[in-house]
Amino acid sequence: MTPPPPAEAVAADRVGTVPVPGDSKINRDLLSVLDAPTFKYFALLGLAIVGVLQAVFSLGYQTYHGLGVAGYSHPIFWGVYIVTFVFWVGIAHAGTLISAILYLFRAKWRNAINRGAEAMTVFAVVTAALFPLIHIGRIWKFYFMVPYPNQRGLWVNFKSPLVWDLFAINTYMTISIVFFFVGLIPDIAIARDRSTGWRKALYTVLSLGWQGTSRQWKAHNRTVLHLSGLATPLVLSVHSVVSWDFAVSIVPGWHATIFAPYFVAGAIFSGFAMVLTVMIPVRRIFGLEEYLTDYHFENMSRFILLTSCIVGYAYGIEYFIAWYSGVEAERTSFFMRAFGPYWISTWIMISCNGIFPQLLWFKKLRTHLPFLFVLSLLINIGMWFERYVIIITSLSREFEPAVWGLYIPRGWELSILVGSFCWFSMFFLIFLKVFPVVAIAEVKELAIHDKAHGGAH
Amino acid sequence: MPELDRRDFLKLVGASAGAAAATGCSDPVEKLIPYVIQPEEITPGIPVVYASTCRECPAACGLHVTTREGRPIKLEGNPDHPSNRGALCARGQAGIGRTYHPDRYAGPQVGGAAASWDDAVAQVADAIRQNPAGTYVLGGDPGPTASRAIDRWLGAIGGGGRVVYEPFAPEAVRAATRALYGQPLVPQFDLSAADLIIDFGSECLESGPAPTVHSRQLADARTLEGHGGARFVYVGSRLSMTAGNADEWITAKPGTEGLVALAIARVAARAGGADASALSRLGSVSPYDAAEKAGISPEDIERLGRAVAKAKSPVALPPGPAVSGRRAVACAAAVLAFNQAVGAVGRTVQLEREPEGRARASHREVLRLVEAMNSGKVSVLIVHDADPVYSLPAASGFAEALGKVGMVVSTASMVDETAARAQVVLPDHTPLESWGDAEARDGVRSLLQPTVRPLMDSQALVDTLHAVGRALGADVPDATFKDLLEQAWAGADFRAALARGGDFGTPSAVTASPTGSGRLQVDAPMLEGDGDFVLLAFPHAFLYDGRGANLPWLQEVPDPVTKAVWQSWAEISTASAEKLGVGTGDVLRIETSAGAIEVSAIVRGGIRDDVIAVPIGQGHTHGHYASLAGDGQPGEARGASVVSVLPSVTDENGGRAWLTANAKVTATGGFQRIPILQTSDNKRKRMLGEMLPLATLTGHGDEGHGDEGHGDAHGGGHGGGHGGGHHGADLGPIYANEHAPIAEYDPADDAEDDALHRWGMAIDLDRCNGCSACVAACYIENNIPVVGEEQARRGRVMSWLRINRWPDEGEVDYGQSDGRTRRQLASREKLGEVDVRHSPQLCQQCGAAPCEPVCPALATMHNREGLNAMVYNRCLGTRYCSNNCPYKVRRFNYWDFSQHNWPGLMGLMLNPDVTVRGQGVMEKCTFCVQRIESARQKALDEERAIADGEVISACAQACPTQAITYGNLRDSGSAVSRKADDPKRGYHALHVLNTRPAITYLAKVKRGSVEG
Repeated sequence: MTPPPPAEAVAADRVGTVPVPGDSKINRDLLSVLDAPTFKYFALLGLAIVGVLQAVFSLGYQTYHGLGVAGYSHPIFWGVYIVTFVFWVGIAHAGTLISAILYLFRAKWRNAINRGAEAMTVFAVVTAALFPLIHIGRIWKFYFMVPYPNQRGLWVNFKSPLVWDLFAINTYMTISIVFFFVGLIPDIAIARDRSTGWRKALYTVLSLGWQGTSRQWKAHNRTVLHLSGLATPLVLSVHSVVSWDFAVSIVPGWHATIFAPYFVAGAIFSGFAMVLTVMIPVRRIFGLEEYLTDYHFENMSRFILLTSCIVGYAYGIEYFIAWYSGVEAERTSFFMRAFGPYWISTWIMISCNGIFPQLLWFKKLRTHLPFLFVLSLLINIGMWFERYVIIITSLSREFEPAVWGLYIPRGWELSILVGSFCWFSMFFLIFLKVFPVVAIAEVKELAIHDKAHGGAH
Repeated sequence: MPELDRRDFLKLVGASAGAAAATGCSDPVEKLIPYVIQPEEITPGIPVVYASTCRECPAACGLHVTTREGRPIKLEGNPDHPSNRGALCARGQAGIGRTYHPDRYAGPQVGGAAASWDDAVAQVADAIRQNPAGTYVLGGDPGPTASRAIDRWLGAIGGGGRVVYEPFAPEAVRAATRALYGQPLVPQFDLSAADLIIDFGSECLESGPAPTVHSRQLADARTLEGHGGARFVYVGSRLSMTAGNADEWITAKPGTEGLVALAIARVAARAGGADASALSRLGSVSPYDAAEKAGISPEDIERLGRAVAKAKSPVALPPGPAVSGRRAVACAAAVLAFNQAVGAVGRTVQLEREPEGRARASHREVLRLVEAMNSGKVSVLIVHDADPVYSLPAASGFAEALGKVGMVVSTASMVDETAARAQVVLPDHTPLESWGDAEARDGVRSLLQPTVRPLMDSQALVDTLHAVGRALGADVPDATFKDLLEQAWAGADFRAALARGGDFGTPSAVTASPTGSGRLQVDAPMLEGDGDFVLLAFPHAFLYDGRGANLPWLQEVPDPVTKAVWQSWAEISTASAEKLGVGTGDVLRIETSAGAIEVSAIVRGGIRDDVIAVPIGQGHTHGHYASLAGDGQPGEARGASVVSVLPSVTDENGGRAWLTANAKVTATGGFQRIPILQTSDNKRKRMLGEMLPLATLTGHGDEGHGDEGHGDAHGGGHGGGHGGGHHGADLGPIYANEHAPIAEYDPADDAEDDALHRWGMAIDLDRCNGCSACVAACYIENNIPVVGEEQARRGRVMSWLRINRWPDEGEVDYGQSDGRTRRQLASREKLGEVDVRHSPQLCQQCGAAPCEPVCPALATMHNREGLNAMVYNRCLGTRYCSNNCPYKVRRFNYWDFSQHNWPGLMGLMLNPDVTVRGQGVMEKCTFCVQRIESARQKALDEERAIADGEVISACAQACPTQAITYGNLRDSGSAVSRKADDPKRGYHALHVLNTRPAITYLAKVKRGSVEG
């Protein structure tokens, strides 16, 4: 991808400010994203759909024949599916963090990116939620995990972290979708007023009769505030719960108290990286340089730098504790991580997540979008491998050396992994053309705010 | 509206009802038909057990065949049989598969096409009629009555002759007794009465003449009363399963065992502990010469000689087939003379007459038959109970000679290499469908009886021969084979014998004194060809001479030593492998004067540098499981047959020699991964297979802290893990060096308060020798699917019970960053050192089971009696339980094994008491809960408690050494409670994790090398 044009002289001045265009220009610019899609768009969407279909075929094949088609090998019973599950749950964190926590902290710069991030969150959770199902041996019995009243007197085991997971993910998914939708209402109304045909009908329904009255705005703002309050603990809880899938077990390499904060930091880290991966091309393709400025990207870079440091610290402390504990199995497990059969994964993880992001200490690089784009891809890869390392190397070197194993993912699993990215992209592409990717109302609000304060931040 | 009269109306109603019915049953309706006339002795749901005899090897152990609703489902040892006394080895148990085998001939075949019995018999009769004298019968030992019937039949038709072929027949030992005592005798060993046992390569625990017998005897000889029981010394070139159970391993070159025996006996005689006159005919050999030729240290010979002289009751076991070379008779004679000299004969060795009816195999006659075939003298060759095309060396020319035989007739019940070459196949019943008899020893006669109606259109061998005889108009009996059998047993109460399994008399000893004057030349073996390596072709622990290769369990139960399955391999020492630049899995080319094979290497420390060892048994081109075709059709060979590169050589007496060739070994550069089921043999000092020095047990228990094997790596703590709950200083030496306190517990507590039982187990590692009979028993009892080579290579074997083999205590070696390649981890064995622990690993039925809390659906949960129940129906397959199981004993159904892994009729042998698991669920050891429940039902009916010993798991039942004790821990008087309450040897696997296992392991005892 060609980099966006270098920041113009004016833009360079603007680092640290937000755009102050006029109302109708904002409407025009931001709604232009919704203009009739080009052939390229359809090609891309088609590609994504093909990707999803091939994964559906793989899943069908796997369901029919059994999980033997995947690379599972005793005793490594969790593989790419759980890795990818955790990966997508992690991705899902940035959106809510940006929308809820930064909202509560009144970090105004979030306004330009929050819509994209929220959309990403919703699609990532929807993607993640599929994986526990794809992973289980009898997908047709997935409802065994759900506590529902039944005549057979069966209940679920609330001691199991997998049940906690079910609740955590579903709660998060619900709140993210509600949050996303509530934020969209004013913008849908704007789009409604400017569209015709099926769009008009769709937006009319979805805008829920939004008129932009001050009473509605008041209610809207209060709703967003309360939802933010609700969503904030979820940002921390979801990945904590996911981390407990591992931490409450006795597997050396999993059984660690650091897991919850470590996973949450990792999730935010990967979430922001994914926002960069998605928003940099969006800004370039739809010419949103005025709205998604270097200032936003710099702030996100700072987040990435912070969380990279936390994650890097966690990597270090894991090794330290493994050594300090004196437990041979723990030590062996970590030794094998770094130097055993999966050493490549481990070193990808450490360099992509712990080392490369340290370059963000340089301000120049924080606003250098091509660099950020490449870095975000590396972080995405690194974070996927982080989960791969945690899950697979730990299982491959457990308490029983007689049955230490080796797991190598197979084609069917990789097909579904690729399919998950296509599934996510498919939703995101559709979203781009159906709803405004930058929150119009919030940008306007910001513009008004900035005007009132003489354009300074 | 048209008229609709009553008839049309009824027709319409009928038609629509029919249509409705037709659409309603897309699947054909299958009806379960109850017995119209209930067979007197069969109650559906209640097993009926018949006594019979195992035919998997010449040992002829007694069987109990469990049948359900007319189908045999499991074989167990006959507790009344004096040989195996209730135990049964893996080979014997797997024999059940022959009856349901997908390779079975559905009926007679002529020229590969199905034929009627009349046609097939007529064809054979026609061929014989042309040249009766050219008719030969070649086969194994079909039992005394059948043997006599065959001889008689040959006489009646004027046939050419009968040749008995048994690849591993102890011909050399027989010839040696004849040379020493002037008559052929069978030495029977009673190891349990010995205090020093030296195995000169007999492999008495695996492929020897009676592994179940010797396993039990050896374990009994080594009970801990007194001074730790007998010492066991193994003389041989590789750390075999038998060697792994020895206290000391003398690494003599293959074929020099006799020489070493003689040298030891000479030293003993000099020390006054042996009668030198018994050795006079064997010449003299100095310890230095013997040591030189055997590649060992003369000090060891001196020391062992002095030890033999000191021992009260020493005994030596003669070489087995693997090390029988050109001088096998002299070699065997040296060991027998050893026994004579040290006074073992009459005490631990009983010389018995050969069983009267036993067909005596003779390799010399086999070779003569080949000559006759080549010269066109053989017009009809009837082959029964043998597969000579596979198991005779290619160099013998048998396969080619077969082409010159007018008609080859096979009576095999399923396809093998020989049957595939036969023009006419007249399938015999399988042993479970047959009448028959066998003689394990002189005076121990046992019966075979049919336990199921023949599943195929087969006919007993003798009846077939008689049918042919009648077609020829020869004077053959009209009686069926069964009648003949009853006549043969006329002297005994046939019905009583059937019920008991036979007529088990006490074998009487023959008093024979050494006679004769000829000199026997005991020397190093003469090997053909040149090359740096001695090619040691040894019997595979399960495939034996190759006859087991078509039985799925024998392919999938891991080899006790290498843990390899489904493939052949070549064992090569670490140093030699390094020289060749190969690792485990690299393909080696092994070339002898008779040919070359390519086979993957297994690199181990426990083999001499100048030996390359290849198991016999793989390399079949026919058979559903034996070959790679997988459908019973001729296919690619699975692995390589080492027999094909052995020169055709005989010993002094014309017996078959196996140790015959030197081999050139080169690396081919190829790589073919062998499915090896144990990844690492480094125990890393974890509490998984413990061993204690004898000194810590004999009165110095508290001073066991010096045991180097128990560093703090256990991380465990003070806490008696034993049934009784021991305290403080009373703690066993195993826990001696651990510092973190661990809650002590009594496994009996881990059941509901009012439960009468907490099922538990005690596994005595000092008795476990790794034979894997328990593994086979578990497979068959619990309907565990056999997954095949490819899945095994991917680590997907389903066994609930495995035997971990740890060659030593292991070390915490962080530098061992192995596993980066596809190869297995480095071998920790060392030449000449034995510290092997075999540790059966199965579900520990933990009191605080890590698998239970993590299951979201409560599919695995504690039952009232403390078992970790596994509810297959509730399992959705998250597999978290297995991740959290530190013992890694849970297995996952990757596929729908129930659909694919019991081909043909094999589904009929499934145990109806055990659920067949479907795709996507976890499974694991249930402690044979079905046996608990049936015992409970019985006890409830009879209004009493379940007695101790009434429930016994399949693994414990099969164990030849009774290493596994199963029972109720809540009953302090039960055998398992008493056994588990061992303050010194008792420990729990991975105790540090506080999982509260119900299994107590009793540490193996390190008795140390023999003192001179």
